[in-house]
Amino acid sequence: MKVDNYDVVIVGSGIAGAVIAKTLTQAGKTVLMLEAGLQAGIALDAEGSYKTYQKYIETFYNAPAKVPNSPYPDLKDAPSIDVLDIEKLQNGIPSTDGYLVQKGPLPFASDCMRGPGGTTMHWLGTTLRMLPNDFKMKTVYNQNVDWPLTYDDLKPFYEMAELEIGVAGNVSEQKYPDIPADFFGKDYVFPMEKIPQSYLDKEIGKKTEKLKVSLNRREYELTCISTPQGRNSVPNEAYKYGSIVWNASKKKLQLETQDQTYNPDGSLWDPYTGQRCEGNASCVPICPVQAKYNALKTLRRAKQENLDIITQAVAYKINTDDHTNEVTGIEYKLYKTDRSSEYTTGIAKGKIYVLAASAIENAKILLASNVANRSDQVGRNLMDHLVMLTWGLTKDKIYPYRGPGSTTNIPTFRDGEFRKEHAAWISPLDNWGWSWPVFSPGSDVGKAVSSGLFGKKLREKMNEDVTRQFLLHFEVEQSPDPGNRVTIDPQYLDAIGNYRPVITYNVGDYMLKAFEASKIVSDQIFAANGIKDFTYYNPKTDPDYVVYKEQGYTFRGAGHIVGTHRMGFTEDDSVVDKNQRSWNHQNLYLVGCGNMPTLGTSNPTLTMTALTFQAAENILKQLQK
Amino acid sequence: MKASFGQSNNPKRQKLIKMVPASGKADSLLGEVAFLKLQAIESPIKTLEELKSALQTAVELEHSTIPPYLCALYSIKDGTNDIATGIIRSVVVEEMLHMILAANILNAIGGTPKIDKEHFIPAYPGSLPDSDNSFIINLEKFSKESIEVFLRIEKPEPTREHPKVKDYHTIGQFYQGLMLGLEYVNDHTAGGIFLTDPEVQKRQITPEHYYGSGGVIVPVYTIDDARLAIEEIVGQGEGIDDTIEDSDQKLFGQGIEYAHYFRFNEVLQERMYCENDTPKGGPTGEKIAVDWNAVHNMVTSPKIKDYEGYPELYEKARSFNQTYTQLLDNIHCACDGKPELLMKGIGLMYQLKYKAVELMNIPFQDGYMAGPTFELDRG
Repeated sequence: MKVDNYDVVIVGSGIAGAVIAKTLTQAGKTVLMLEAGLQAGIALDAEGSYKTYQKYIETFYNAPAKVPNSPYPDLKDAPSIDVLDIEKLQNGIPSTDGYLVQKGPLPFASDCMRGPGGTTMHWLGTTLRMLPNDFKMKTVYNQNVDWPLTYDDLKPFYEMAELEIGVAGNVSEQKYPDIPADFFGKDYVFPMEKIPQSYLDKEIGKKTEKLKVSLNRREYELTCISTPQGRNSVPNEAYKYGSIVWNASKKKLQLETQDQTYNPDGSLWDPYTGQRCEGNASCVPICPVQAKYNALKTLRRAKQENLDIITQAVAYKINTDDHTNEVTGIEYKLYKTDRSSEYTTGIAKGKIYVLAASAIENAKILLASNVANRSDQVGRNLMDHLVMLTWGLTKDKIYPYRGPGSTTNIPTFRDGEFRKEHAAWISPLDNWGWSWPVFSPGSDVGKAVSSGLFGKKLREKMNEDVTRQFLLHFEVEQSPDPGNRVTIDPQYLDAIGNYRPVITYNVGDYMLKAFEASKIVSDQIFAANGIKDFTYYNPKTDPDYVVYKEQGYTFRGAGHIVGTHRMGFTEDDSVVDKNQRSWNHQNLYLVGCGNMPTLGTSNPTLTMTALTFQAAENILKQLQK
Repeated sequence: MKASFGQSNNPKRQKLIKMVPASGKADSLLGEVAFLKLQAIESPIKTLEELKSALQTAVELEHSTIPPYLCALYSIKDGTNDIATGIIRSVVVEEMLHMILAANILNAIGGTPKIDKEHFIPAYPGSLPDSDNSFIINLEKFSKESIEVFLRIEKPEPTREHPKVKDYHTIGQFYQGLMLGLEYVNDHTAGGIFLTDPEVQKRQITPEHYYGSGGVIVPVYTIDDARLAIEEIVGQGEGIDDTIEDSDQKLFGQGIEYAHYFRFNEVLQERMYCENDTPKGGPTGEKIAVDWNAVHNMVTSPKIKDYEGYPELYEKARSFNQTYTQLLDNIHCACDGKPELLMKGIGLMYQLKYKAVELMNIPFQDGYMAGPTFELDRG
C-alpha cells in the first residue's frame, strides 16, 4: 500500500496491536504497524510461518533452560525482558545485567516477549474474566482504586475477546464468588467445549471440592472448577457468533452470528494442524501445533491490503505539535540485522496513533518523549500477580506433566470481605509437577544419578516420585502503588541508544498478608489430601524472598505486566480516560495491560483484549467524525 | 463449453474429477452424474450389496496409499526438506479423511466398514485394491522414484473405458462408477437407501470426532451428503487425468488448494507452481530446496520375516506393527458405532512416527536401514 499518511499508526504486533489492526483494516481504514522484532517472525503465509515457527521449536528444544522466552530470538537492538536475568538484589546496588535495570528493593519477576505476536507466543492461555467487584475495589472494600468502567460496560467486549481468542470452556461451571446471575448473558456459551480436565485435577478434586477451610476466624467452602482457556477444542454447536464487525451507522462494534458451527482456527501454516489441543504440555513457552491462540492469528484476519507492517522498527520517540498538542509522528530506528547495531531512522505518520508495545515499553516511549504525562502517572503503578507456590508429594500417583499447564482452579478467594484486609488470589492446580519451583523432572534425575542410581533403579525411582508431584499456586493480586514504577535514565541505554527500563519495585503488607493466608489454606488442602509438603522458600537464593510476621515466603512473577499508564476518572490521577485515549493528546491512544487500574485475580489478557476492542470502537468513532 | 476445474463446495480447490467434454454443467459432481445418466452410461453397480462392497473397496483403496506415503514421510530426516515434508503430510492426512468419508457413506446405507479384516492392509509390493494391477506400489524411502510412483497413483494413464469398480484402471474411473451406482441404487430403492434410524445415524463420524486432518468431515444422512462426501474425496485429487492438461482455466496461484498430483509434482520438479503456470508446462515458480540425500536409507518393502535373524530389530518392527494394528482397530471401532473412540487414536499416531523413525535408524543389510513392514499383528 505505502501511503504518506495512514489512518492509524500502531506500535507493536502483540494481541492489542493485532486486535486494533484487524478491526480497523476490516472497517476499511489504512494502518501502518511498527514492530520491533525480526521480519521472519511476522510471516503469515504457510511457508514462511512454518519455517519461522519450526526454528522457534528447534531453539526451544536446544535451550538449556526452558524459560518463557527461550524459543524466541533475544535481539541486541530490541531486547526482551528475561526471567533468567532476575537476581537477588544487594542493598542499594541495581542489577543491570539483563535488559531491565532493577533498583529494587525487590526485583520485578516477570518477562514478556518483544517480537511479532508479542507475549501471546508464550502465554499459558488462561482466559478468565475479571469479577464485577474487581472494577470497584475502592467503593466496595476501600482498597486500591475504582475503574472508570464497570463489568457491565466491558461485558459485550468480553464476548468479542472470547471469539477473537477462541475460548474453550464450560460456562455453567464458571461459578465465582459473589457474581450476579447474569454474569454471562442468558444462554451464553464459549466457542468451544472445555479442555478436558486432567487426571490430577480429578484426583485432587475428590478431597478438595467442598473442603471446608478456616482462615482468620472465617470458614470457606472450596470449589474446584474448570478453567476457560484460549486453546482449540471441540466446537460448541450452541455457539452462534462468527465475526466482529463495525456498524458505521450505529457507531458500534458488534458480534455477528453465523449459521455454520464455529471452526477452530488452526496453525498459521496449515488450517488442519492445531484444531485441537493435543496435550503436548509445552504451552509455555511454545505450542508445537499452534492449537493455543497467538496474536498472529488475529493479525492474519486483518484485511492485508489495508495493512503495512515495518519490522525491525523500534519506536522511540513521539513528536507532538506545540500548539495543538496533537501527535504528529512516531520516530523509529530501523536496525539492519539482529547482529549489528547499524540502523536508519524513519517517522511514521497517521491521523491517530496507538501504542501497543507492552506496558513497560509503552511507558518507556512516553517517558522518553515527555508525552501524555501531565498527571505524572506514566510508568507508575507497575503490577503483577505475585505467585506463591506450594508443592508436595501425594500418596498415590497423580501423573503430572500431561496436558496444558493448568485446567482447574479454586476460585474461592477471588472475592470476599477479606479483601478489606488482604489481597485476593486465585489458585490454579498445576499440571506440570514441580517443574516451576525446582526444575523437575531434570533436577530429580540429577539428584538420583548423583546418589548412585542408574538403569532400572533410576527409572523406578523417577516413576515413584515424579508421578506424585503436586504443585499448587496462589496468584495474589498486587495493589497499584505509585512507587512501583518504570523510569528512564540516560546512564542505561541499549545497543542502538534507546532507553532501557529502570524498575523500582516492592511489595506491601496487603499482599504479604495474603501470602500468610494462602499458606494457611494450602496447609489445609495438603492435609485433606494427605500430601507431604516439600515447599521450601530459600532466604539466600530466592530473588523475591520476603518476610511477614517472621515467616518467610517466596513469590515469583506471573508474566502479567500491568498498570503503567492507567485509565482513570480525571486527567490528574491517570494517563488515559475511559476511552483509552490520552488525556493530553486527542489523537493518541494507549492500549494493552498498561491501561488497567487494578489487576483482579484473572490473567489479564482476556480483559485487556476486551478493553482493546472498546478502544478500537472509540478510534473508529473518532475517525468517522 | 469448458469444464470448470473449481470445486462447487470449495471454489478455491482444484476440481479433479475427469470432466466429460461438452457436458456443459459439469461444475459439480451432481452435474456430471446427471450427464453420465443422460448418456445412458450403465451403472456398474446394481444392488445395495454391490454398492456396499464397492464402498468397502473405497475404504481400502483410500487406506492403501497411506503406508507408502508414511514411509516416504518418516524417512525424511528431521529438520530437513521442510516443504516436501509438509506436502507429503498434507496428502497423507487427506487420504485418512477420504477413508473416513467412505466409511461414513457405507454406514449411512446400513453397511459396516470392515477396517479390522484380515487383508485390510495390502501386501507391498502390490497394486491398488481391486484395480487392474497396472502398476506396483512399494514401501520405500523418499526419493525421486517413490515420488514418481505417487504421481502415478494420483494421475494414472488415461482410459477410454466406462466407469467400473472392479479391475478399474484409474481411481477416477472407480469413483465415477461408485457415484453412478450410488444414484442408481438409491433411485431404484423405494424410500431410498439412506437410513433414518437414529441408531444408524449415530454411527457417523462428525467434525466433533474428526479434526486436524485434511479437511472437514461430512456426516452422511442423505444422498446430498453422500454426493458432497464423494466430491470432497474426488476434489482433493483422486482421479485426475490428462483432460486437465487441456484446461485453460487458472489452476495455480495464491489461495488455490492444489490436487495431490500437483503437490507431488512440485516436489519432483523442486519448484513451486505460480500464477500463470499450466499443467502441461509444469511449475515455474520459486525453487524448492529438496535434499534427496537427507533421507534414512530404508530398505524397500521389508517383511517381518526378513528380520527374523535379528531379535532386537524383530521386536521393534513387531511393536510398530502392533501399534499400526491397534490404530486400525481403533478406527474400526470408531466407524462401527463408537465415533468418540477416534480421538484416542491421536496418541497412537504419534507413537507410530517414533517407532518408524527408530526402525529407520537401525542398520539392516547392504548399507540399507530397516523400516516398518506394515503387517497386521495382534500380538
